[in-house]
Amino acid sequence: MRIIYETSDGGVAVIVPAPEYLLTHTMEELAAKDVPAGANYEIVEDSVVPSDRAFRGAWTWA
Amino acid sequence: MATIINADTSDGLKLTSDTSGQIDFQSAGSTKATIDTSGNLKFDSGFGSVGTAYGCRAWVNFVGTGTVSINASGNVSSITDNAVGNYTVNFTTAMPDDDYSVNGSTSSAVNNNVFIAGATVLPTTSAYRFNTRASSNVNLDMPIVNVNFIR
Repeated sequence: MRIIYETSDGGVAVIVPAPEYLLTHTMEELAAKDVPAGANYEIVEDSVVPSDRAFRGAWTWA
Repeated sequence: MATIINADTSDGLKLTSDTSGQIDFQSAGSTKATIDTSGNLKFDSGFGSVGTAYGCRAWVNFVGTGTVSINASGNVSSITDNAVGNYTVNFTTAMPDDDYSVNGSTSSAVNNNVFIAGATVLPTTSAYRFNTRASSNVNLDMPIVNVNFIR
């Protein structure tokens, strides 16, 4: 799982959880801790995030 | 003074107790490690005398290309992929202050000129943002990124 959130400039940041952290915490707890306050975010499957990073700078929040 | 746990070469375990709050670990009467009343761990480990050990408070080894993922870590809750060659390490337990030291490296079979550079975001007690940057001053994603935090 990943957490994606909208950055202040309209782009997208992707939070990648540490496996160690998920042994004792949930994705919701991680989002509460590591997503910047007030940012729109969503918890998604890994496959939602493109593995092709050629246009990483062009990712936008839709 | 200290409470002493001594591995004596003649008598085996020897304990000496006091009320100082400090613990000394000795071998043949020579102090090899100490935990003082402030909680500082001090050890000899070949230095010749005990000195304070400064720990690595957090570390992470992650894949920065393709599907970004964490291979292994300590005291890291997550990394944030902000952009090409731009990441944030988020700490599980916050640093005592933002004066920690950071070092890191990258690994790639095709490019050995990529270094860890600070981002234009100041360190905080809860996170550290940085770039993986080529000598040409351009950010690059790297197959392996290692970052350590000392305090």
